[in-house]
Formats: sequence, C-alpha cells, structure tokens
Amino acid sequence: MKSPDIIVKTENLTRQFGRFTAVNQVSIRINRGEIFGFLGANGAGKTTLIRMLCGLLKPSSGEATVAGLDIKRESEKIKQKIGYMSQHFSLYNDLTVKENIEFYAGIYGLNRKQIFQKQNEISKQLQMEPYLDSRTSDLPLGLKQRLALATALLHNPPILFLDEPTSGVDPRARRSFWELIYQKAAQGTTIFVTTHFIDESEYCHRLSIMDNGRMIAIDTPESMKKRYKKKSMQEVFGFLIREKGI
Amino acid sequence: MQRMLTMIRKEFRQIFRDRPMLVIIFIVPVIQLLIMSFAFTSEVKHISCLIVDFDNTPMSRDLIHSLHHTEQFDLTEMTTDIRQIDERMKRWQVQMALIIPPHFSRDLERHLNPQCQLIVDGVDGNTAGVALGYARGILSNFQEKWTAELTASSFHNDVHIIQMTERMLYNPDLRSQQFMVPGIVVILLTILPMMLSAMSLVKEKEVGTLEQLMVTPLKRYQLLSGKLIPFLLLSFFELFIVMSVGITVFKISMNGSYLLLACLALIYLMTTLGLGIFISTITHSQQQSMFVAWFSMIFLILMSGFFIPIENMPLLLQKLTYLNPMRYFMTIVRDIFQKGSSLRFLLKEAIPMTLFGLMIFTLSVFKFQKRVQ
Amino acid sequence: MQLNGHRIRTVARKEWYHILYDFRTLFILFLMPVVQLIMLGYALNLEIKRVDLAVLDYARSPESTHLVNTFKGSPFFHPFPYDGSAANMDHLFKTHQAHAAMIVPSDFDRQQQRENDISVQFLIDASDANRATLIQNYCNRIIAEYNQNNTMSLSSLFDLRSTIYFNPDQKSAYFFVPGIIAMILIMISTLLTSITIAREKEFGTIEQILVSPIQSQEIIIGKVLPYIALAIMEASFILLLGMIIFDVPFRGNVILLMMLTTLYIITALCLGLLISTQAKTQQIAMMMAITLTLLPTLMLSGLIFPIASMPRILQWITYLVPARYYLLIIRGIMLKGSGGGQLLEPILLLGWFTLFFFIAAIRRMNTTLER
Repeated sequence: MKSPDIIVKTENLTRQFGRFTAVNQVSIRINRGEIFGFLGANGAGKTTLIRMLCGLLKPSSGEATVAGLDIKRESEKIKQKIGYMSQHFSLYNDLTVKENIEFYAGIYGLNRKQIFQKQNEISKQLQMEPYLDSRTSDLPLGLKQRLALATALLHNPPILFLDEPTSGVDPRARRSFWELIYQKAAQGTTIFVTTHFIDESEYCHRLSIMDNGRMIAIDTPESMKKRYKKKSMQEVFGFLIREKGI
Repeated sequence: MQRMLTMIRKEFRQIFRDRPMLVIIFIVPVIQLLIMSFAFTSEVKHISCLIVDFDNTPMSRDLIHSLHHTEQFDLTEMTTDIRQIDERMKRWQVQMALIIPPHFSRDLERHLNPQCQLIVDGVDGNTAGVALGYARGILSNFQEKWTAELTASSFHNDVHIIQMTERMLYNPDLRSQQFMVPGIVVILLTILPMMLSAMSLVKEKEVGTLEQLMVTPLKRYQLLSGKLIPFLLLSFFELFIVMSVGITVFKISMNGSYLLLACLALIYLMTTLGLGIFISTITHSQQQSMFVAWFSMIFLILMSGFFIPIENMPLLLQKLTYLNPMRYFMTIVRDIFQKGSSLRFLLKEAIPMTLFGLMIFTLSVFKFQKRVQ
Repeated sequence: MQLNGHRIRTVARKEWYHILYDFRTLFILFLMPVVQLIMLGYALNLEIKRVDLAVLDYARSPESTHLVNTFKGSPFFHPFPYDGSAANMDHLFKTHQAHAAMIVPSDFDRQQQRENDISVQFLIDASDANRATLIQNYCNRIIAEYNQNNTMSLSSLFDLRSTIYFNPDQKSAYFFVPGIIAMILIMISTLLTSITIAREKEFGTIEQILVSPIQSQEIIIGKVLPYIALAIMEASFILLLGMIIFDVPFRGNVILLMMLTTLYIITALCLGLLISTQAKTQQIAMMMAITLTLLPTLMLSGLIFPIASMPRILQWITYLVPARYYLLIIRGIMLKGSGGGQLLEPILLLGWFTLFFFIAAIRRMNTTLER
C-alpha cells in the first residue's frame, strides 16, 4: 500500500526515442503540498518526464502513479486532477483574456456562474481589469504568464505541473510568479516544476537534478549544500554535473 | 456536451476574428466558382482556321461558308500559299487549315471525287480531335445537303434518306455550366473542409495550445467534434452560397431533392473532414499541411471524373478511381442536379461513399491521439 | 552598392538547408508533377471512345437490323437492344447504362416505301454538353454512311482527308509536359519564396538579419538563388520524365528555351517578392500566392482549357497572366520547333511583364526594408 501522502510516485520510469534515451530509470516520490523542483540543462529530460506524468507520452518502461492513478491505464482520469502549464503559455492569442478564461473554464466543466466568478477572481488577483477585453497577444509577457497559470488552476487541481514556466520572463515578473506558487502550495496544492534557472531551485522544498536523462541527486536544497560543502546551489550544480554527469 | 459547446464557441470566435480566414471562407469560393465555371469548359469554340482555296469558285466559297457560320470556327483569312500553314501554326495564329484543291468544282461536277484536306495543329491533342470531329460533321452534313440538291434536280424522286432527329435530355440547351457548376460544388465541399480542419489543428499544434488541450479532461471526441462541427456548419453555409450563385447567376436547374443532396453531402463531409484530421496528424506546420492538402486535392480532382471522363482512362487508372470518394460524390451531385435522380438510382454510389466516409473518419480519429509525438 | 559574394553564398546555403530539411514539402514537390503527368498524360482524353447506345427497335425488320449493324460496325458505338417502353427509358440514363438511345419507328420500312425522308429519333444524355455534341456528330456520321450505302446514287461527292501536325497521335502528354513545367515553376518561384520570406517576418528573424552588416539586396539574392536552382532542377526533371516515359519530342532550340525560361522564373520570383512585402504572415502569403498566381496559372493560361473557348471577359483577363505567354513559348519551341522570330509576340509581352514586375519588386523591397 502506498502512503496517502505520496501523491506522485515513479519507479524506474524510462522513455526512449529510437536509440536516444530521454529519461533513464527515474524513481521519485513526491509528497502532498510539496514544491518539487527539477533542475537540469536543456535536453536533460525534464520535459519528457513531465509529459509522461501528464499522460501526453507513454513511458517505454517503468511505472508511475499520479494522485494514485496509473499513468499508463488511467491517463484520462489523471487529467481531471492536474493543472499543466508549459513554456509556451498555451493561451489563444487571438482571443481576449476573458474569452480565454471562459474557454478553459468551460473545458474543465465549470458552469456559467462559476466561470463569471473565476473571471472576477482572476482579474482582481492579477490586477488585470483593464486588460479583460483586450487580445491576449497584446499582454506583456509577465502578465501572460500569470494568466496562463491562472487558467491552469481554474479547476483547483491537487497537482500542478509547470514546465519551465519562467523562461523568457524578466526577474521581477519571475518573483511575483513564485509568490503565486507559494500561495498555492500553502493551500495544499502539490507543485512540480522544471527549470534551468539555478537560483529558482532555491525556492523549491525539494529538488532533483537531472543530467542526460538520469537523476543524479535528490534532496532539499539545504542538505545538498551541506552534503557537498558548497555555499550556493550554483556550485552544487556545477560540482554534481562534473562528478556524476556523463 | 457543455465542453463541446465551449470548444465550438471558441472555434467560431477564432474564425470570425481571422480576416484572411473569412476571405478564404466567404469570398474566394464565390470567385472560384465564377471563374472556374466559365473557364473549365470542355466545349471547344472559336478554332482559328486558315483557308487555302485553290479553286475559288462559287462552290468552294459555298463550302467555306458552311464553316463560317458556326461558333466553333473563326475563319482568319484566305491564302493560296501552302507554306503559310506551317508558318502560321508556329506563330500560334491558326489551329486548323482547310485546303480546297484546284479544279474542285469542275471535278465535283464530273463526279471525280476531289479531295479536300484538313490540317490540324495537334499540340493540344484533345482540341485537335474535337475540332476535327466538328469539321467533319459540318462538312459531311453539307455534302449531304448538296447531294440531295444535286440528285433532286438530276434524278427522279425515289431517293430515301434517313433523317436524324435528336432530343437532348436533361440539358436541352447544351450548356456546359450545367455540368461544371455541380462539379465545382463538389470541389469546394472538398477543399474547404479538408484545408480548414487540417490547418486549424496544425496551427494549434504549432502554437502549443493543442498540448494544453490534451492535458485537460476534454475527451478526444469532444475535442474533435468541437473542432469539426463549426467547419461542418460553415461547409453547409458554403454549399448554400455556391448553390444560390449557381442557380441565380448561371441559371443552373436543380431537378432533384435538396434534402437528399444535404444528407449525402453530410456523409461526404465526414470523408473530407476526416482527411483533414489525418493530414493534421502527419504534418508539423501550416505550410506543410497546406502542401499536403493541395496535393491530395489535385489527385482527387483528376481522378474524380470532374473533367476527365473516367471511361476514357486506361483500365488501371479506372480501377483506381473506385478508391476515390470524390468520384462517387461527383456522380451523385451531378445526377441529383441534372437528372433529379432519387436515392434508388444513386445507391451504387452512395453505399461505397458511406463506407469510405466511415472508414476514413474512424481511422483518422484513431490516428489522432491525445498524446504528443 | 557593392554586393558581397561571400555573404550571398552564406545566406543561400542557409536557405538551401531549409529546403532540404523539409523533406515532406520536397517530396511533394517532386511527386506532384509525376502524378499530374501520369494523370493528364495518360488519362486526359476528352474525346469519347465508347457510346453505349440503347436500341428500341419497333420495326424489327431486315432494314432496321441493317441500320443497327451499321452502328455496330463503328468503333465508338456499343448498341444493345432495349425492350421496355419508351416512357421508361429515363432509367437507362439515370443508372448510367446508356449514353444515348435510338428509337426506330414501327413504320420504318413502310415509310421507306412511301416518302423520301424517314425520321429516326435519338435521345442523348446531355448532362455533359460536350459529350452530347460529340455523340450527335458521331450519330450524324453513321447515318450519313448508312444513307450512302443504301442509295446507290448517293456516292460521296468529295473526300475529306485530315492531317495532324506536330502530334499525329494526339498524345495529351505532349500538351501537358510544358504545362506542368509552367505550373511547377510558378509554384516554387512564387509560392515558396513568398512563404519563406513571410515566415522570417512572422518569426522576427528578418530583423535579426537586418541589423547585421549584410545588405538587404544580398539577403534577397541569397534567399532567392536556391529556389532558382530548385526550380530549374524540377523543370529539367519533368522534361526528362516526359521525354522518357511519353516520348515527348524537343524540336526547337534548347538555349532559346532556357533563356526564356529564366525570364519567366524572374517574373515569378518578382511576383513572389511583391507578395511577401505585402503579407505579414505565412497564411496570408500562401493565400495571396494561390489566388493571384497559382489559380490563374492553372485556369486562365490555356494550361488545360483553351483560351479561345472562354467568354470574352475572361479572355481579356488571361492577357494579365504571364504563364499564358510562357506556355505559347515553351509549347512552340518544344513541340513545333518555332524560332524566336515566330514567337516574337509572346516573347515581347513576357519581357514587358518581367521588366514591370522586376522594377516593381525592387522598389517595394527597398521601401519596406529600409523602414
């Protein structure tokens, strides 16, 4: 029996594309309410791993469950329980902010009243009243990113997958984005985030470092620094890639 | 159900906000219909014809005159220089030449069977063949008339000639638009749904929104029907526009049942929308999907009997056309329009078309996975 | 303005890789002409070869049988007896069993005794007007033949001999190989170039290049060169295919054709560049290229349907389609062996178009790029 507190669990999860192994025997356990980070260079296998957990890709071998559901057999049920936001922000540029919210809320099965409520809530929270009726393509990047996050959370999912959510956004916007993430985690949402910004990894409760499809370390940022006797995550990352990387 | 409606509403919003798209949907087809139905005619008219008359007698002029008063031939000029024929053809000035030999009328009266010669530019083999056919028809009619006159005056009255009376069924005025416009309707009902559905799915793929939709609980059938129903409705609207233009501008007569046409069109749209989904699964950019769609279009049109009669094709190609769903719908639409055929007469086409539609649609729906590649 | 050959080569190489990596498009570009060539070369035959003729013979006499046999003797007609009533003949046409029907009246013989003219009725399925006209002509000919055989005094007055120049077997491949070349050249030169430039605009990469020391003319030349190469390769590919599979002849001057083809390619490229200056996105570029060049080339240049048969207004529009002139040139040179002097008119007109579009494209490019 798995413990009720473990919400994402993988066992030797592997994915190959032809001869190339993108994710190589990754085993992790993530607890409810955790902010779990995946740090790695581009091409380390982070996106592939996230896509498998969201049911977008079938694993080549290994097992995984998300919210107690098997990713191979119950991927459609998983989709009710997760929010997902990728680096493309995936909003419709030709629709207005309001219409985007309305659309995704409708997809998640919210009714008219709930949709209206959500629109108000989001516009207050993100201070985007003036933008509600403008095209999404006209929004500043940081705002677009927060709107994408808000749409991914419309159905209050217990787990949120973020795939490099902050790439291309300026530092100030990044900070306010992380504030939102903390709020959500405090409300009990489990957050699974990939990044290639090393400074962001310090914000995570626990962290896993990936290189060439393999997981080379997993721990809290604090104990990593302690264990390898380094002052910053920057140094830890450099050290690990040199020592354990391929 | 509500999810599907959300999807449909979003799709309509996007279409109506996209100006180029609106032009593609509402204006381009009408222009295409107007131009195609005038340009795509299998009639051959105004063949420029050079006359080389060595005889130059009332009889030879009479013969020339018989060609003159037709829509098929334009007599450019007369010459007695035989080398002009080759020269003029190389300059694209004439397409046909009629040579009347010297002493034509004298030989005619002496029953010496003089020989006239027709020379045709064969570069466009079809026009050449048709032109020859016309000319032979006109000249042999003329010959008959002449014979009748000659014999009537010189012989006694026991000659029996069979006369032909003909009735042109379904299209008594022999207007080629009556044939082409329904064909163009079929083509538009193919291009539009196929291109639009393929391009709109690929566009979402390019932008990344498709991936976002895939991680939502939206079911595959909800996603696809949300995508396809707007295009289905638009295609019907298109059918309506094109038919009204055809009926008002081209005075096409519609002799069959509108309901039957609509039902069979619905079945056919399953095929074309299915092909659109299929194309979207094998391509990665709008440019590619447009190319693939364009290519399949040309292939389907050529093999549909739209302007190349199927029974004229080599046997192997004829057999291949049975795999072309457009072939069936082409016959169906033309028969409903012109002959007013009821379903009973169209089963031979409707059944294979339905099977193809079901097959293509199911296959492409299965090929469209809620996963990334 | 000093152009740097090295920089042009760099841009050209990059563009060439773009072309090679998109193998789907490349595959289609080479497969499409092959399919079209085979379909149009083997299959496009508007002449009818087979007429299924239902015969409703009320007379059933030796004379009427003789008439039917005259039809049987022709290679076109496949007569078959029909026993139903005349009112039900509709079925035959609706089920596509017959293209035409002949009704021989019951007093066929007696009429022959009494009167001069005997009338035999033909019903022709005219849903395809062209086919109906041809069937009517065929019937006319057979009837004339029957009359001649039957009435000794009606021997033919004069003979009609026909000769077909340049393409005695009337192979449609002769006609379509040049046509497909004209179309594929437009497709590559106008459609593909306008789309690639629009793509760079859409993705913003063109600004990246514009801030680099490279001159805008160098970019344009570099981008366009690989497409010229591709276009020439495809044209030769189609030409060879036509010559090998269909024995299409080449009777004229190769160098003359190559020079004039270059003229045509330049015209098409300039059109592509003009479109790309107007279009902001790939989709718009695609749409403009298709409606402004591809469709007119396909429908209004004489590629498939003869211009002379079109209504007047449409004929005037065809004067604006450069492919119209190029088709006269390539078909003239390849199939008729026409010389430059004989094709002076289309050559001059094409030349004017080239000049016009070239100047227009250069001016538009300069104003849009400098902005």
